[in-house]
Amino acid sequence: MLTRSIALALVSAACAANAQDKPAASPPPSWQQGKPPAMSESTLHPFAIEMTGKAAKDLPIDKLKAPAGFKVEVWAEGMPGARSMAQGDKGTVFVGTRQLKDVYAVVDRGGKREAKVLLKGLDAPNGLVFNKGTLYVAERHRITRYDGIENQLDNPPQAKVVVDNLDPNKQPGHFWKFLAMGPDGKLYFNIGAPGNIVMPSYMEASVMRVDPARGVLETVALGVRNSVGMDFHPKTKELWFTNHARDWLSDDSPNDTLHRVSRKGMHFGYPYCHQGDTPDPEFGKNRSCKEFDAPTLKLGAHIAPIGMRFYNGKMFPAEYQNNIFIAMRGSWNRTIKQGYNVMRVVLDDSGKVAKYDPFLTGFLLDEKADPPMWGRPNDVMVMRDGSLLVSDDQNGIIYRVSYAK
Amino acid sequence: MRHGLPGAAALAAALFVGAAGAADVEAGRQKAAVCAECHGPDGNSSDPAVPSLAGQPAQFLSGQLFFFREEYRREPRMSPAAKALSNSDMNDLAAYFASVKPAPPKHVTTPENEQRGLELTQKFRCVQCHSAGLQGQQHVPRIAGQQPEYLRAQLRGFKQRTRSDIDGYMTQMAQPLSDHEIDVLVDYIAGLRTPSRAAAGGSR
Repeated sequence: MLTRSIALALVSAACAANAQDKPAASPPPSWQQGKPPAMSESTLHPFAIEMTGKAAKDLPIDKLKAPAGFKVEVWAEGMPGARSMAQGDKGTVFVGTRQLKDVYAVVDRGGKREAKVLLKGLDAPNGLVFNKGTLYVAERHRITRYDGIENQLDNPPQAKVVVDNLDPNKQPGHFWKFLAMGPDGKLYFNIGAPGNIVMPSYMEASVMRVDPARGVLETVALGVRNSVGMDFHPKTKELWFTNHARDWLSDDSPNDTLHRVSRKGMHFGYPYCHQGDTPDPEFGKNRSCKEFDAPTLKLGAHIAPIGMRFYNGKMFPAEYQNNIFIAMRGSWNRTIKQGYNVMRVVLDDSGKVAKYDPFLTGFLLDEKADPPMWGRPNDVMVMRDGSLLVSDDQNGIIYRVSYAK
Repeated sequence: MRHGLPGAAALAAALFVGAAGAADVEAGRQKAAVCAECHGPDGNSSDPAVPSLAGQPAQFLSGQLFFFREEYRREPRMSPAAKALSNSDMNDLAAYFASVKPAPPKHVTTPENEQRGLELTQKFRCVQCHSAGLQGQQHVPRIAGQQPEYLRAQLRGFKQRTRSDIDGYMTQMAQPLSDHEIDVLVDYIAGLRTPSRAAAGGSR
């Protein structure tokens, strides 16, 4: 990647002036921030979602593959930008979005599954949790609650604010939020970094929690660039989360990571140290990776892990108990693409990673093409029947993976 | 564009997303009849201020219709026109216009802007997103051979920060442009006929 970019830069240097000559009065988009001059000719770019969604009929759904005995099917569609999922007590599946402003509800009406827009006009309502009759929604700037919403899906209640002012600067960056309910009854969420590689301000690049009853905020973990997936181990009750590492260093470094929080206040290194062992070329100069806590697993460079859930359902074979499923939404920032699948992490009794294997594949069509994929797994959720739902925000589709002996 | 739909029905269509039908070129052709009034027959515009839609990437077309409907992008004629469209309508329209062959541009680049325009597109690395030959890709429009006054209005809008921008990149790129450079770029890009000419200057 680096060599290729340098070669491209040399080839074009003779005829192309540098756009950086004249200082631009507008900052680069956050995905371009921190791109070194050696990569200025790189054509790598993030992929935009289909804002109007795509129909399953127009997509090569039959390419999706899961291990023997598992079945993959389209469960619901027509929800552009479908991301985080939460299941209500009465079976409603709530679906959040990031680039749109909607929260969807998938309901069973007389045996017919129906997807509808439930909440409109929200600011990147990515994070959802359903707990004791209440739907909690994390937007960029606030977390709200909708009490008793499953009883009035056609006329949702007004939002009540749990905590506000989480995005005081209204700046671009990783400020959409994942939301998880802890075993302590507190809501866990991320506040990301304000760009690709930037010194974070107060509360940024962190995992936080808030007590919904009192609104008190606490920092759970620091040095976390962008976590948009987290869950609690069914036995140990410890928080685990996925994290996206910085871009524009190289094709294979640094890795995106999986983290285990064994004590409050751990610091996982951003922006000084990546993947536990790779000092940042700029911010790491006067720091050591030894100062920071290491990830539990390197997931792959630029692979963009989003939703992760421990499997605690009754449908899959016994060896799947307490495994972690992770939805990989990338990669874009490497020349040869990887990911675009759901990975399975098997832990041993001590919580160490024993296996890391693909579980649901087939979204990636051509690792060298632009775009390389036809769909992008975004979140995973274990249904009450033990099947696994996988959202695809590229197309606005939710797939269901089930198992039968 | 289903102007006949009563408001309530349109709202219901927007709210109940349901199962999505496959994007249909023929359905798109029928729904596109009303677009011809401004965008020309088959989406090949002859009005310098109105963009051609023919041969644009489908994702760009459906995305912009969405942005008009949701008022991320505001335009006196398009925002109301997109209001009654469902996502399926937008996908049909996008599939149809993407399938139409773009007509060669009528605009002829002035000789003095041939080289200067090429250099400016290289300086600002237009091909990085707009692809080789400035033919567009995915959510990024084909600008080669696009109508000149439309291009000028967009570039000025980006510079003035009044044009909606999916990620701020075009806004950033337009800031250092002088009015003269905008005119040179427009004159050059609006006259681009074949992919090969612009591709010769690209590093893609």
